[in-house]
Amino acid sequence: MAVSYVPATFEEAVRIRRETGAVPVAGGTDLMVRYRSPAGTLPDFPWPVMFISGLKEMKGLFLEGAELVIKAGTELAVIEHSEIVHPVLREAVRQMAAPALRNLGTLSGNICNASPAGDAVCVLYALGAEVELTSSSRMRRMPIEHFITGPGRTVLKDDELMTAVRIPLHSDSASFYRKVGTRKANALSKLSCTGFITVTENRIVDMRLALGAVGPMVVRSAELESQCIGMDLNQFSNFKPDLRKQYAELVTPIDDQRSTAEYRKETTLNLIDEFFMLIEKELS
Amino acid sequence: MHQSINNDFLQKAIGTPVRRLDALDKASGRAKYIADMKFDGLLYARMIRSSRARARLLHVAVPALPEGYYYISSNDIPEGGENRLYMITNDWRVFAEDTVRYIGETIGLLVGPDRNVLRDLEREIKISYEDLEPAFTIDEGLAVKGGPIHGEDNIFAEYNLKKGDPDSIFSGSYRIVEDEILTGFQEHAYMEPQGMVGEYKNGKYVITASCQCPYYMRKAVAGILAVDQEDIVVSQAITGGAFGGKEHFPDVIAGPLVVAVHVIRKPVQIVFDRHEDISFTAKRHPSRTRFRTAIDENNRIVGMDIDIAINGGGYQSCSHIVLQRAMFSVNSVYDLPNIRIRGRAVATNTFPSDAFRGFGAPQGIFACEMHMSHLARALEMDDAEFKQQYFVQTGGTTVTNGMIHEEVKLPEMLEKVLESSGYIEKNRLYAGEGAAKAVGISFYNHGGGFTGDGEKEIIKARVRVSRDQNHKVTIYVSNVEMGQGFQTTACKVAAKVLGIPLQDVFFQNPDTSVVPNSGPTVASRSMMIVGKLVERAARQLKNSWNDQGAVDAEEDYVQPPGIEWNSTTFQGDAYPAFGWGICAVEVAVDPATAEVETKGIWTVHDIGVPIDDLIVHGQVHGGVIQALGYGSLEKLEVKNGAFLQNTFADYIIPTTMDFPAVESDLVENPYEYGPFGAKGMGELVFDGAAAAYAAAVQKAVDRDICSIPVNPELIMKLRQA
Repeated sequence: MAVSYVPATFEEAVRIRRETGAVPVAGGTDLMVRYRSPAGTLPDFPWPVMFISGLKEMKGLFLEGAELVIKAGTELAVIEHSEIVHPVLREAVRQMAAPALRNLGTLSGNICNASPAGDAVCVLYALGAEVELTSSSRMRRMPIEHFITGPGRTVLKDDELMTAVRIPLHSDSASFYRKVGTRKANALSKLSCTGFITVTENRIVDMRLALGAVGPMVVRSAELESQCIGMDLNQFSNFKPDLRKQYAELVTPIDDQRSTAEYRKETTLNLIDEFFMLIEKELS
Repeated sequence: MHQSINNDFLQKAIGTPVRRLDALDKASGRAKYIADMKFDGLLYARMIRSSRARARLLHVAVPALPEGYYYISSNDIPEGGENRLYMITNDWRVFAEDTVRYIGETIGLLVGPDRNVLRDLEREIKISYEDLEPAFTIDEGLAVKGGPIHGEDNIFAEYNLKKGDPDSIFSGSYRIVEDEILTGFQEHAYMEPQGMVGEYKNGKYVITASCQCPYYMRKAVAGILAVDQEDIVVSQAITGGAFGGKEHFPDVIAGPLVVAVHVIRKPVQIVFDRHEDISFTAKRHPSRTRFRTAIDENNRIVGMDIDIAINGGGYQSCSHIVLQRAMFSVNSVYDLPNIRIRGRAVATNTFPSDAFRGFGAPQGIFACEMHMSHLARALEMDDAEFKQQYFVQTGGTTVTNGMIHEEVKLPEMLEKVLESSGYIEKNRLYAGEGAAKAVGISFYNHGGGFTGDGEKEIIKARVRVSRDQNHKVTIYVSNVEMGQGFQTTACKVAAKVLGIPLQDVFFQNPDTSVVPNSGPTVASRSMMIVGKLVERAARQLKNSWNDQGAVDAEEDYVQPPGIEWNSTTFQGDAYPAFGWGICAVEVAVDPATAEVETKGIWTVHDIGVPIDDLIVHGQVHGGVIQALGYGSLEKLEVKNGAFLQNTFADYIIPTTMDFPAVESDLVENPYEYGPFGAKGMGELVFDGAAAAYAAAVQKAVDRDICSIPVNPELIMKLRQA
């Protein structure tokens, strides 16, 4: 049976983490399911756990300079209803799971879960979010794409806690978000697609595209995006077929119990086409 | 508690809605389901199951057990008892011995007071197997891959039917259209998972269970302990849903349970977790139906050669009866000439398939409806226009050469659906636009009650209605309330006959030591068959209403006159009366993602006379949405013998967001031998919607659809083809 801790303060949480390596459980909406055990028995965690949902210091979201800071213990429902959160992120959160789960689950938990099918995670890639990691001796931050290294794998150290997600404020001319779930509500993703386009004087100044559930990690290509910068309508339309082909090479989904590789690839490319049409509309 | 019940139905039509008698308890959370019930000194049991689809069972190494813990297996069956369950067939074993036939087959039970300890002990049990080559699909079963699982050829049952002269139609002068239609597994997804508690009380084995068929369970397990059926008492716990999943399958739990109670003599509980329930309980039979249809120069159907195979899994249980219903339903509502039907139920190493709302009819009807729509497409006709030419009429002939005795109201019903759905105008408009939108339609019927003479020869239902000295009335039947509303509707029938308020009529959950055997809660028979007996018993009671003291009235089933059935040749009237239905579904298919938006659902049903309008509408909504889930979302694949989608995160049933409200209409068509004119309806409302949905998508994407679920993956594939 796993040892469990309930720290009273953030300092205590950091100390327990350093001393025992206990895995933090916030809402538990992933971990309690993954380590479920028969009715009437205790959850089957293979390591010590630390319940942090009671820590007020870890909750809240606010603007700080040019960033939105979402503290790690902030429930998804709070993000969903906050006006200072980018509307695409709010929409992605709104489409996650069911209200009861959103009242418990956290964005940081979703990130630490490191699933390539995490819907909000796909949006965070597109928004250029960074994560803040804290231990008793230091604090560090890094882009989300450096934090997640594979399905279920992150660079979180045994003595670190994720303490916040920091999202640069982003203004775009238009955005595109589409989650294809297993049904219309309370659904996991088959795939998701997030796009942002910023146009000034009929030229692209910023283009971002993130693709979820099409490979071991969320796909975003800084290289392909940068090639679009400065293009006008004509240039982009000429470049489009080649760009699509290059994205197609990055889309390497699998067959699983929720969908097929074939469907994921074809649908993702169709959604990329829709996003490209949106870009052309913004450029004209 | 009942003071606010509306008794208007006593003066007005019986269908005038009342508040359901179970509504407050269930809505408030007061209702106690099996896992909520308290028993003194209760022990818990974990089922130890096969992890192999097909293997020789070499050895089960059980660790040393702490005091008060038990491992129960076939070795514990008492002398004279049999290691088999007396279900419809008695091939399913209580515990696997020597071999295992499917993943999840019961090998033993681990019993004890602390569930944490049981979990740890379970991990220490080591089972050694010698793997054998399994067969999972209908084709693998038919090819006897890995050697026979059942008999010589893996055929649990094979039947052949003939109407007219089917041999004459393939003479060479007709156009022959071939087709193959596939349907998959379906999970029942009932409200609470399987569960029961067994006790030994006063020399009897008492089982309190979430179940549909208390008397079935009694019969299934008595022989294991070599006791009389009367020594087994089955008491129904509040059952939140069943859909056929609690018809026979609970016997598979009750068998090992009574052996454990026999050994330990203490109350023992088995309650499945949802994950266990999805992984290790019976499902709807997958089916494959092949058609060869002859069309003459006037584009008329001359005849059909039909071959149906269903996947029965590792044990037969009721597969042959499901097969019969699939065969008898495979001409849907059409009176076609020159039909040959071959049906086979095939043994494989998947989890045994069993009863599920519709019992073979949904598979047969889906196949027929899709094939007919494919013929319409091949002949460049509209589905509805093509199909209505063949509507069976009163006096028409069924595939068993029986007769349709009742008035068939399909033309009137079709007019209603065409009008409410806008079928003709919308399809014309959408076809012109080239938009991926369409309205699909399906036609279906469902015979009420057991097939053929089953009610007369096998079930022989008996009911008792009693009036006590305070003029309170109690209905004694073995049929259960399982969410469908029978408690309320049965009480309405008695109250209406007696002219007394509903709150003076009582219906308790059945207990086999108390109620007579009025048969199982299956086959759309509860109201039509048992409700009729309640009506007759209430009339009898009315005649002695003024007698002193308590009064009992009993009634036994009598077959309606004019019904002829030969149970050897399957010739004659397979069913005395049918419910009839038409469903239209409008869809729009997303060009980028192939996701389907359902825009509208319209139904018209003939169920005789509704006993409660709201309960009937609840059944229509539930049945239609469950069928749309079957038709669109509920993919259930087998990988190496195990169900791949085994949680509600992956096995996708519809939410209220997935489909709009059903616009449901009824036509009245009183049935003389049903209570107040009622016919069966619980399964009818499941039978047709999957085909209406598939037909709509088929029209929207202009490709033949031959299988369900019609999910975006399938649509994408068809569009690319």
